[in-house]
Formats: sequence, C-alpha cells, structure tokens
Amino acid sequence: MTRAPRARTLLGLAAASVAALALAACSTGAPAASESAGDDEYGLVNAGTLTVATEGTYRPFSFHEDGSGDLVGYDVEVAEAVADKLGLEIEFEETQWDAIFAGLDAGRFDVIANQVSINPEREEQYLFSSPYTVSPGVIVVKEGDTSISSFDDLAGKTTAQSLTSNWYALAQESGANVEAVEGWAQAVTLLEQGRVDATINDKLTYLDDVQTNGERGLAVAAETDDPSLSAFALTKDKADLVAAIDAALEELRAEGVLAELGEKYFGADVSE
Amino acid sequence: MSGWQLFLDSFWPLVWGAVSGTIPLALASFAIGLVLALGIALLRLSKNRVLSGFARFYISVIRGTPLLVQLFVIFYGLPSLGLVIDPWPSAIIAFSLNVGGYAAEVIRAAILSVPKGQWEAGYTIGMSNGMTLRRLILPQAARVSVPPLSNTFISLVKDSSLASLILVTELFRVAQEIAAFSTEFMLIYLEAALIYWVICIVLASGQGMLEKRLDRYVAT
Repeated sequence: MTRAPRARTLLGLAAASVAALALAACSTGAPAASESAGDDEYGLVNAGTLTVATEGTYRPFSFHEDGSGDLVGYDVEVAEAVADKLGLEIEFEETQWDAIFAGLDAGRFDVIANQVSINPEREEQYLFSSPYTVSPGVIVVKEGDTSISSFDDLAGKTTAQSLTSNWYALAQESGANVEAVEGWAQAVTLLEQGRVDATINDKLTYLDDVQTNGERGLAVAAETDDPSLSAFALTKDKADLVAAIDAALEELRAEGVLAELGEKYFGADVSE
Repeated sequence: MSGWQLFLDSFWPLVWGAVSGTIPLALASFAIGLVLALGIALLRLSKNRVLSGFARFYISVIRGTPLLVQLFVIFYGLPSLGLVIDPWPSAIIAFSLNVGGYAAEVIRAAILSVPKGQWEAGYTIGMSNGMTLRRLILPQAARVSVPPLSNTFISLVKDSSLASLILVTELFRVAQEIAAFSTEFMLIYLEAALIYWVICIVLASGQGMLEKRLDRYVAT
C-alpha cells in the first residue's frame, strides 16, 4: 500500500471514463468547501460544529431510545462530552456501518464514533484518538451448540459479520466461511434462524443484548485473549483535532465522566 | 499497490461477480417474471371481477412497496413462519414477483394497443379466442412492448445489487468486499458502476436488434 490515497483515487478516476468524471467533479467539490471553512483551527467539515458519524442502530453504543426516540448510547454521550469540552456544537450523521469509512474519506464527517476498534490496517489509513472502550471479543453461538468452544473450532463453520468490521477479519483468519451482513441485529437473526453457526462481536454488545432482550437461546462459546480497544477514528489530516480530543478524553477520565457513562450503559467502567 | 494496479486486480473479480451473480440472477428473474406478468396481465384483462380484482391487488402491492422491503420480508421475515429459503432462491422469488407486477402493466397496455379489429379478424376466419391471442394479438403486442420491457430488464440488472443485502454474492457484493479491504471506495464503486453500465449498453443494443426483428410483423 502506498501512502497517497488522493493520488490513487485520481488515477482510478482517469481510468473510469466519462461517468467517473461527472462524479469526480461532485466529489472534488466537498474538500474544497471544507477548506474554505478553514477559519477554525481543526479544519472541521462545518466550522464550529463537530460532525460525528454513527450508525444509530448499534446498541448500546449508538441507538434511538425506545426505537424511535432521541439518539443516545455510550459512544454518543462520550462524543457529546468531548464536543462540550472542545466548545463545539455537535451534529450526528447516521449512516450504515459499511458506508461509514467511505463517508469519512469523502470528507462528510470529522470523526466516527461507533466503537471503531483500533487495528494495524486501519491505523495505516486513519488517525485514532486514545481508546475510550476496552473489551474482549466473543464468539456467540446457539445455546447447546458444543461444536464450537474456541476460535480454532470456527474452521469450516459459517459466521455472519459486517464487512468492514475487525471481527470479519478475525473470523476469516480462524478459517470460518464468512457471510457479510449489515450488523449485529442481522447476524443474530441469521444465527437464530440456523443460517449461520456463529457470530463474533464485542462482548459488550452481547451483554447488552442479553440485558435488553433477555435470554434468547444464545451463548458465548469463547473469548479473545487480548481485549480490543475502541476509539474515535479520523482522517490523517486531522492531527490537531485528535490532540484536542485526547486532551478532552483525559479530562473526562479524570473527572470520572467516562466511568459514569460506562456504569450507565454497562453497569461497569469500560474505559480502561 | 497503485490505484491502477488495484483497478486491474479487481477487474476480473468484479466481472466474475457479474457473470456468476448479477447476470444469471437478472436473467432467471426476468424469465420467470415475464411468464408471471403475462398471466397477471391476462387476469387483469379478464371480464371475471374476482380474477381482475386479484390482478389489480397484486400489481398494487408490488408497485406500492419497496423492492428492498420485499426482499427482506422473504429472506428475514418468512423464517418466523417456519419457512427458511436460501439466499439465491429468495432473491429470485423477490425479483420475479417484482418484475411480474411491473411487466404485467406493460403487457396489458401492449395488448390493448392492438386494434380491436384484429380480434374480429381472428374470429371471422374461425379462430378461437386463445388462438387469436397467440397468433394475432401477442406478436403485435410483443413489438410494442419491447422498449418498456427493456426498461424493466435494465432496471432489474441494477436492482439485483440489492441481493447483496441478503447474502447473495454478485457484482456489488464483490465490490463491497474489495472496497472494504482496500479502503478505496471511490475507485472500486466507480469500477463497479462502469461494469453495470457496460452490461446495460449491451442490453440496449440487444433491444435495438429485437425491435428491428419484430418490425417484420409490420406491413410496409
């Protein structure tokens, strides 16, 4: 992988003929607009406002209260607290997970707040704030399925994962046959319907599912050794903003705000 | 890896996604959908109120609900009634039912566009109702319906990308997979768009040839 995403995109554009040119004209408009709003120090998409991308369908990190109420969740509230510290307004853009990085690259958001796990591939492409969630991954199976008790047992089994998630890569590395889905809800639906054997996700997601939906015939088959660290993701040109967010997170941690939010959503401090 | 290299490396996987997914999915759904559409169109034209009412209801439901919702009802919804259908059959069922609804109206309009005198001409020389339909009316209606049915087919080719949401691997799903790992969304999605476009150009030229061929029924 080279280090010049824009140059690569342009090369691709040249190759992709007339239709590409029309679209490229639209897309090059966006960064120019954000630059002209560059009177603020962070290079925000909209000056004075932190534009945050999140799924809005990912309990308990980002979801709508009672299904159709206000946008709430652990990540949403952490992002709100950070924006508050930075003295910025906050605006959430809700989008599908599989489109979220494409939107970040396209300059539609300043930051993704959606339990984005830090991994080497992503670090090559994006900047991360300091982590505000620490959690192991788990393999979730149907209760009573004894054929899976470790990650090695996933070889030859079918799991459901969302495409750009790090769990997708982990499932593949474990030798599983991976079906790509939108997110946790579809993955669990497929699991319940017997269309897949397992799904890998954050332990916190699973615990929250049990908490909200009660026992529904699912069980944890195994847990990862090293916990995953989740943080805000930003494009590489936002170093100043990352530094400011890190400082804000540090203050929130010292003030006990992160611990409080963890208590509220998980019954435990999940920030370290 | 340079952008050009990635473009080349993803080209054949994407084309394969089209050849093994998009095209068979569209062809199978269109073929089944067309048969269904002819049946629905004839029901809708029937003098029997129950039959024509059923056809109206069917067309109304299909045209009145999003294709994505129809797909999800069949794939994610039916299992709650104990009916688990695999991804591919689910997609073909949903797309066929959808084409059936839209194409039925096209075929009905095409049949109605054939002058009434043609029916009378058929009866005069002793043809039955069904024979008149098959030998006189449908060939003429076919010619009229080629442009709008081509539209339906071209739409279907692109709508088939929705099947990626119910685990069917076709062109767009392959594009999503490559984009997710290369994080070159713009490049890969444009490449996919280009391939869809080329497929549709080929279909449009097929439409042109078909129109010319069916013109043989027109007296000159």
